[in-house]
Amino acid sequence: MSTQPKTLSPMQLFIGFSKIGMSGFGGVLPWARRTLVEQEQWLTSEEFSAMLGICQIVPGPNIVNLGVCVGSRFAGVSGAFAAVMGLMLGPVAIVLLLGILYEHYSYMPVVQGLLRGISAVGVGLIASTGFKMMRTELKYPPMLSVIFLTILAATYFHLGLGWVVLLASPLAFYLAWRKLNK
Amino acid sequence: MMSTLISLFLKLSAFSLVAFGGINALLPTLYDLSVNQEHWINSQTFADYFAIAQAAPGPNLMTVTLIGWKVGGVIGAAVATLAIAWPSSIMIYFLQRSIMRMQDIQKQKMIQAAAGALAVGLVLSAAWGIALQINTGIAAYLLTIGTIAITLFTRWHPLYLIAIGGALGVLGFI
Repeated sequence: MSTQPKTLSPMQLFIGFSKIGMSGFGGVLPWARRTLVEQEQWLTSEEFSAMLGICQIVPGPNIVNLGVCVGSRFAGVSGAFAAVMGLMLGPVAIVLLLGILYEHYSYMPVVQGLLRGISAVGVGLIASTGFKMMRTELKYPPMLSVIFLTILAATYFHLGLGWVVLLASPLAFYLAWRKLNK
Repeated sequence: MMSTLISLFLKLSAFSLVAFGGINALLPTLYDLSVNQEHWINSQTFADYFAIAQAAPGPNLMTVTLIGWKVGGVIGAAVATLAIAWPSSIMIYFLQRSIMRMQDIQKQKMIQAAAGALAVGLVLSAAWGIALQINTGIAAYLLTIGTIAITLFTRWHPLYLIAIGGALGVLGFI
Protein backbone atom coordinates (compact mmCIF):
# COMPACT_ATOMS: atom_id res chain seq x y z
CA MET A 1 0.00 0.00 0.00
CA SER A 2 2.60 2.51 1.09
CA THR A 3 4.50 3.49 -2.03
CA GLN A 4 5.66 6.88 -0.80
CA PRO A 5 9.33 7.60 -1.30
CA LYS A 6 11.51 8.04 1.79
CA THR A 7 13.15 11.16 0.45
CA LEU A 8 12.12 13.92 -1.91
CA SER A 9 14.36 16.39 -3.64
CA PRO A 10 14.19 20.06 -2.63
CA MET A 11 12.92 20.77 -6.16
CA GLN A 12 9.96 18.41 -5.70
CA LEU A 13 9.18 20.05 -2.36
CA PHE A 14 9.44 23.50 -3.92
CA ILE A 15 6.98 22.59 -6.67
CA GLY A 16 4.57 20.83 -4.33
CA PHE A 17 4.46 23.73 -1.92
CA SER A 18 4.15 26.24 -4.76
CA LYS A 19 0.92 24.50 -5.70
CA ILE A 20 -0.28 24.77 -2.12
CA GLY A 21 0.58 28.45 -1.85
CA MET A 22 -0.97 29.45 -5.14
CA SER A 23 -4.23 27.59 -4.67
CA GLY A 24 -4.78 28.61 -1.07
CA PHE A 25 -7.63 31.06 -1.43
CA GLY A 26 -9.27 31.73 1.89
CA GLY A 27 -6.84 29.69 3.94
CA VAL A 28 -4.00 27.47 2.89
CA LEU A 29 -4.32 24.56 5.29
CA PRO A 30 -7.17 22.70 3.51
CA TRP A 31 -5.13 22.86 0.31
CA ALA A 32 -2.10 21.59 2.11
CA ARG A 33 -4.00 18.46 3.09
CA ARG A 34 -5.37 17.99 -0.41
CA THR A 35 -1.95 18.30 -2.04
CA LEU A 36 0.24 16.47 0.49
CA VAL A 37 -2.13 13.63 1.35
CA GLU A 38 -4.44 13.14 -1.61
CA GLN A 39 -2.54 14.25 -4.72
CA GLU A 40 1.16 13.74 -4.03
CA GLN A 41 0.65 11.17 -1.27
CA TRP A 42 3.78 12.23 0.53
CA LEU A 43 2.05 11.80 3.88
CA THR A 44 -0.74 9.61 5.19
CA SER A 45 -3.74 11.32 6.66
CA GLU A 46 -2.60 10.38 10.19
CA GLU A 47 0.91 11.69 9.62
CA PHE A 48 -0.49 14.93 8.26
CA SER A 49 -2.79 15.43 11.24
CA ALA A 50 -0.04 14.72 13.75
CA MET A 51 2.32 17.13 12.00
CA LEU A 52 -0.31 19.82 11.67
CA GLY A 53 -1.18 19.44 15.35
CA ILE A 54 2.40 20.28 16.27
CA CYS A 55 2.62 23.15 13.78
CA GLN A 56 -0.51 24.73 15.20
CA ILE A 57 0.66 24.68 18.80
CA VAL A 58 3.97 26.34 18.06
CA PRO A 59 3.68 30.11 17.61
CA GLY A 60 4.23 31.70 14.22
CA PRO A 61 2.60 31.31 10.83
CA ASN A 62 1.10 27.79 10.87
CA ILE A 63 1.56 27.08 7.20
CA VAL A 64 5.21 28.13 7.23
CA ASN A 65 5.70 25.85 10.23
CA LEU A 66 4.11 23.03 8.24
CA GLY A 67 6.46 23.75 5.34
CA VAL A 68 9.44 23.49 7.68
CA CYS A 69 8.15 20.23 9.21
CA VAL A 70 7.38 18.49 5.91
CA GLY A 71 10.39 19.90 4.07
CA SER A 72 12.90 18.96 6.76
CA ARG A 73 11.43 15.50 7.14
CA PHE A 74 12.02 14.63 3.49
CA ALA A 75 15.15 16.64 2.67
CA GLY A 76 16.61 18.22 5.81
CA VAL A 77 17.37 21.91 6.08
CA SER A 78 17.45 22.51 2.33
CA GLY A 79 14.09 20.77 2.03
CA ALA A 80 12.65 23.10 4.64
CA PHE A 81 14.01 26.10 2.73
CA ALA A 82 12.65 24.81 -0.57
CA ALA A 83 9.19 24.17 0.86
CA VAL A 84 8.92 27.60 2.49
CA MET A 85 10.24 29.36 -0.62
CA GLY A 86 7.76 27.49 -2.79
CA LEU A 87 4.99 28.45 -0.44
CA MET A 88 5.87 32.14 -0.36
CA LEU A 89 7.34 33.27 -3.68
CA GLY A 90 4.25 33.14 -5.89
CA PRO A 91 1.81 34.62 -3.34
CA VAL A 92 4.25 37.40 -2.40
CA ALA A 93 4.60 38.38 -6.08
CA ILE A 94 0.82 38.43 -6.52
CA VAL A 95 0.14 40.39 -3.37
CA LEU A 96 2.74 43.00 -4.32
CA LEU A 97 1.08 43.34 -7.70
CA LEU A 98 -2.23 43.87 -5.95
CA GLY A 99 -0.54 46.39 -3.66
CA ILE A 100 0.59 48.38 -6.69
CA LEU A 101 -2.91 48.25 -8.19
CA TYR A 102 -4.26 49.41 -4.84
CA GLU A 103 -1.97 52.46 -4.87
CA HIS A 104 -3.45 53.47 -8.22
CA TYR A 105 -7.11 52.69 -7.75
CA SER A 106 -7.84 52.99 -4.04
CA TYR A 107 -9.44 56.40 -4.57
CA MET A 108 -12.34 54.77 -6.44
CA PRO A 109 -15.47 54.26 -4.29
CA VAL A 110 -16.05 50.89 -5.95
CA VAL A 111 -12.64 49.62 -4.86
CA GLN A 112 -13.16 50.99 -1.35
CA GLY A 113 -16.54 49.25 -1.13
CA LEU A 114 -15.09 46.01 -2.44
CA LEU A 115 -12.34 45.99 0.18
CA ARG A 116 -14.73 46.94 3.00
CA GLY A 117 -16.95 43.99 2.11
CA ILE A 118 -14.03 41.59 1.90
CA SER A 119 -12.49 42.70 5.18
CA ALA A 120 -15.81 42.28 7.04
CA VAL A 121 -15.95 38.70 5.73
CA GLY A 122 -12.28 38.21 6.59
CA VAL A 123 -12.91 39.09 10.23
CA GLY A 124 -15.77 36.61 10.27
CA LEU A 125 -13.55 33.87 8.83
CA ILE A 126 -10.98 34.42 11.57
CA ALA A 127 -13.62 34.38 14.29
CA SER A 128 -15.10 31.15 12.97
CA THR A 129 -11.65 29.53 12.93
CA GLY A 130 -11.51 30.39 16.62
CA PHE A 131 -14.98 28.98 17.29
CA LYS A 132 -14.18 25.77 15.42
CA MET A 133 -11.02 25.32 17.46
CA MET A 134 -13.08 25.93 20.59
CA ARG A 135 -15.08 22.74 20.01
CA THR A 136 -12.11 20.80 21.39
CA GLU A 137 -12.07 22.90 24.54
CA LEU A 138 -15.76 22.29 25.17
CA LYS A 139 -14.92 18.66 25.99
CA TYR A 140 -13.21 19.92 29.14
CA PRO A 141 -15.16 23.03 30.21
CA PRO A 142 -12.66 24.31 32.85
CA MET A 143 -10.35 25.03 29.92
CA LEU A 144 -12.79 27.73 28.83
CA SER A 145 -11.43 29.83 31.70
CA VAL A 146 -8.11 30.07 29.85
CA ILE A 147 -9.94 31.38 26.81
CA PHE A 148 -11.88 33.83 28.96
CA LEU A 149 -8.71 35.05 30.70
CA THR A 150 -6.93 35.49 27.38
CA ILE A 151 -9.77 37.49 25.86
CA LEU A 152 -10.11 39.62 28.99
CA ALA A 153 -6.38 40.40 29.11
CA ALA A 154 -6.15 41.15 25.40
CA THR A 155 -9.33 43.07 24.68
CA TYR A 156 -10.34 44.63 28.01
CA PHE A 157 -6.94 45.34 29.56
CA HIS A 158 -5.23 45.77 26.19
CA LEU A 159 -2.13 43.87 27.26
CA GLY A 160 0.44 43.09 24.57
CA LEU A 161 0.51 39.63 23.06
CA GLY A 162 3.63 38.59 24.96
CA TRP A 163 2.10 39.54 28.32
CA VAL A 164 -1.15 37.77 27.51
CA VAL A 165 0.72 34.57 26.70
CA LEU A 166 2.83 34.84 29.87
CA LEU A 167 -0.21 35.50 32.01
CA ALA A 168 -2.45 32.76 30.63
CA SER A 169 0.01 29.95 30.04
CA PRO A 170 0.45 28.85 33.70
CA LEU A 171 -3.32 28.36 33.98
CA ALA A 172 -3.40 26.65 30.57
CA PHE A 173 -0.69 24.17 31.57
CA TYR A 174 -2.21 23.56 35.00
CA LEU A 175 -5.62 22.80 33.49
CA ALA A 176 -4.08 20.67 30.74
CA TRP A 177 -2.34 18.65 33.46
CA ARG A 178 -5.62 18.32 35.39
CA LYS A 179 -7.47 17.33 32.22
CA LEU A 180 -5.12 14.44 31.56
CA ASN A 181 -4.92 13.27 35.16
CA LYS A 182 -8.56 13.49 36.12
CA MET B 1 15.28 54.12 6.00
CA MET B 2 17.77 51.59 7.24
CA SER B 3 16.77 52.15 10.85
CA THR B 4 13.09 51.75 9.95
CA LEU B 5 13.84 48.42 8.29
CA ILE B 6 15.83 47.26 11.30
CA SER B 7 13.04 48.26 13.63
CA LEU B 8 10.53 46.45 11.40
CA PHE B 9 12.70 43.34 11.37
CA LEU B 10 13.28 43.24 15.14
CA LYS B 11 9.69 43.88 16.15
CA LEU B 12 8.18 41.38 13.73
CA SER B 13 10.77 38.79 14.73
CA ALA B 14 9.73 39.15 18.35
CA PHE B 15 6.04 38.83 17.42
CA SER B 16 6.77 35.61 15.58
CA LEU B 17 7.64 33.87 18.84
CA VAL B 18 4.46 34.80 20.70
CA ALA B 19 1.97 34.36 17.87
CA PHE B 20 0.14 31.34 19.26
CA GLY B 21 -2.74 30.75 16.87
CA GLY B 22 -0.75 31.98 13.88
CA ILE B 23 -0.85 35.29 12.07
CA ASN B 24 -4.55 35.79 12.75
CA ALA B 25 -3.84 36.06 16.46
CA LEU B 26 -1.26 38.70 15.70
CA LEU B 27 -3.42 41.12 13.71
CA PRO B 28 -4.41 43.55 16.51
CA THR B 29 -0.77 43.71 17.65
CA LEU B 30 0.26 44.39 14.10
CA TYR B 31 -2.35 47.13 13.87
CA ASP B 32 -1.09 48.70 17.06
CA LEU B 33 2.49 48.67 15.83
CA SER B 34 1.97 49.90 12.28
CA VAL B 35 -0.88 52.37 12.81
CA ASN B 36 -0.72 53.65 16.40
CA GLN B 37 2.96 53.44 17.30
CA GLU B 38 5.00 53.80 14.13
CA HIS B 39 2.45 55.53 11.87
CA TRP B 40 3.64 53.52 8.87
CA ILE B 41 0.09 53.32 7.54
CA ASN B 42 -3.30 54.67 8.56
CA SER B 43 -6.25 52.68 9.81
CA GLN B 44 -7.91 52.60 6.39
CA THR B 45 -4.84 51.25 4.63
CA PHE B 46 -4.46 48.54 7.28
CA ALA B 47 -8.05 47.45 6.72
CA ASP B 48 -7.52 47.44 2.96
CA TYR B 49 -4.26 45.47 3.17
CA PHE B 50 -6.05 42.95 5.36
CA ALA B 51 -8.78 42.65 2.71
CA ILE B 52 -6.25 42.24 -0.12
CA ALA B 53 -4.43 39.53 1.81
CA GLN B 54 -7.71 37.72 2.40
CA ALA B 55 -8.69 37.84 -1.25
CA ALA B 56 -5.29 36.88 -2.68
CA PRO B 57 -4.05 33.29 -2.82
CA GLY B 58 -1.47 32.21 -0.30
CA PRO B 59 -0.79 32.29 3.42
CA ASN B 60 -2.63 34.87 5.51
CA LEU B 61 0.65 36.48 6.55
CA MET B 62 0.46 38.57 3.36
CA THR B 63 -0.88 41.48 5.45
CA VAL B 64 2.60 41.61 6.97
CA THR B 65 4.19 41.50 3.52
CA LEU B 66 2.12 44.46 2.35
CA ILE B 67 2.97 46.53 5.42
CA GLY B 68 6.66 45.81 4.80
CA TRP B 69 6.24 46.84 1.18
CA LYS B 70 4.67 50.13 2.22
CA VAL B 71 7.55 50.78 4.63
CA GLY B 72 10.43 49.88 2.34
CA GLY B 73 9.36 48.72 -1.12
CA VAL B 74 10.27 45.25 -2.30
CA ILE B 75 13.12 45.00 0.21
CA GLY B 76 10.75 46.01 2.97
CA ALA B 77 8.31 43.31 1.86
CA ALA B 78 11.09 40.71 1.94
CA VAL B 79 12.36 41.88 5.33
CA ALA B 80 8.88 41.82 6.88
CA THR B 81 8.02 38.39 5.48
CA LEU B 82 11.33 36.94 6.59
CA ALA B 83 11.08 38.51 10.04
CA ILE B 84 7.66 37.08 10.80
CA ALA B 85 8.73 33.58 9.73
CA TRP B 86 12.32 32.86 10.77
CA PRO B 87 12.14 32.64 14.58
CA SER B 88 9.17 30.30 14.60
CA SER B 89 10.64 28.27 11.73
CA ILE B 90 13.82 27.60 13.67
CA MET B 91 11.80 26.80 16.76
CA ILE B 92 9.55 24.30 14.97
CA TYR B 93 12.54 22.71 13.23
CA PHE B 94 14.00 21.65 16.56
CA LEU B 95 10.74 21.14 18.40
CA GLN B 96 9.10 18.78 15.94
CA ARG B 97 11.89 16.25 16.38
CA SER B 98 11.64 16.29 20.14
CA ILE B 99 7.84 16.32 20.23
CA MET B 100 7.46 13.58 17.60
CA ARG B 101 9.92 11.39 19.48
CA MET B 102 8.60 12.20 22.91
CA GLN B 103 8.14 8.88 24.68
CA ASP B 104 5.71 10.35 27.13
CA ILE B 105 2.41 10.60 25.22
CA GLN B 106 0.76 12.25 28.23
CA LYS B 107 3.24 15.10 28.17
CA GLN B 108 2.72 15.53 24.45
CA LYS B 109 -1.05 15.71 24.94
CA MET B 110 -0.64 18.16 27.79
CA ILE B 111 1.39 20.55 25.65
CA GLN B 112 -1.17 20.29 22.87
CA ALA B 113 -4.11 20.95 25.19
CA ALA B 114 -2.47 23.98 26.81
CA ALA B 115 -1.27 25.54 23.57
CA GLY B 116 -4.59 24.80 21.91
CA ALA B 117 -6.53 26.71 24.56
CA LEU B 118 -4.13 29.66 24.34
CA ALA B 119 -4.54 29.72 20.57
CA VAL B 120 -8.34 29.75 20.77
CA GLY B 121 -8.31 32.66 23.20
CA LEU B 122 -5.85 34.65 21.12
CA VAL B 123 -7.62 34.03 17.81
CA LEU B 124 -11.00 35.05 19.24
CA SER B 125 -9.59 38.17 20.90
CA ALA B 126 -7.87 39.04 17.64
CA ALA B 127 -11.11 38.72 15.69
CA TRP B 128 -12.84 40.94 18.22
CA GLY B 129 -10.04 43.51 18.32
CA ILE B 130 -9.69 43.70 14.58
CA ALA B 131 -13.45 43.95 14.03
CA LEU B 132 -13.48 47.04 16.25
CA GLN B 133 -10.75 48.60 14.14
CA ILE B 134 -11.91 47.86 10.62
CA ASN B 135 -15.66 47.30 10.60
CA THR B 136 -17.13 50.66 9.69
CA GLY B 137 -20.81 50.27 10.52
CA ILE B 138 -23.72 48.05 11.44
CA ALA B 139 -23.81 46.49 7.99
CA ALA B 140 -20.17 45.39 8.28
CA TYR B 141 -20.84 43.75 11.65
CA LEU B 142 -23.89 41.98 10.24
CA LEU B 143 -21.76 40.66 7.39
CA THR B 144 -19.13 39.48 9.88
CA ILE B 145 -21.77 37.72 11.99
CA GLY B 146 -23.36 36.20 8.89
CA THR B 147 -19.96 34.89 7.80
CA ILE B 148 -19.43 33.26 11.19
CA ALA B 149 -22.86 31.62 11.08
CA ILE B 150 -22.45 30.32 7.53
CA THR B 151 -18.94 28.99 8.17
CA LEU B 152 -19.96 27.22 11.35
CA PHE B 153 -23.16 25.65 10.04
CA THR B 154 -22.47 24.97 6.36
CA ARG B 155 -19.54 23.71 4.31
CA TRP B 156 -19.36 26.65 1.92
CA HIS B 157 -15.95 27.44 0.57
CA PRO B 158 -14.56 30.70 2.06
CA LEU B 159 -13.98 32.04 -1.44
CA TYR B 160 -17.74 32.25 -2.04
CA LEU B 161 -18.13 34.30 1.12
CA ILE B 162 -15.30 36.61 0.10
CA ALA B 163 -16.95 37.07 -3.30
CA ILE B 164 -20.33 37.80 -1.72
CA GLY B 165 -18.76 40.27 0.72
CA GLY B 166 -16.93 42.01 -2.12
CA ALA B 167 -20.12 42.21 -4.18
CA LEU B 168 -22.12 43.66 -1.29
CA GLY B 169 -19.37 46.22 -0.79
CA VAL B 170 -19.30 47.19 -4.47
CA LEU B 171 -23.06 47.68 -4.40
CA GLY B 172 -22.60 50.08 -1.50
CA PHE B 173 -24.24 48.06 1.26
CA ILE B 174 -21.22 47.84 3.57
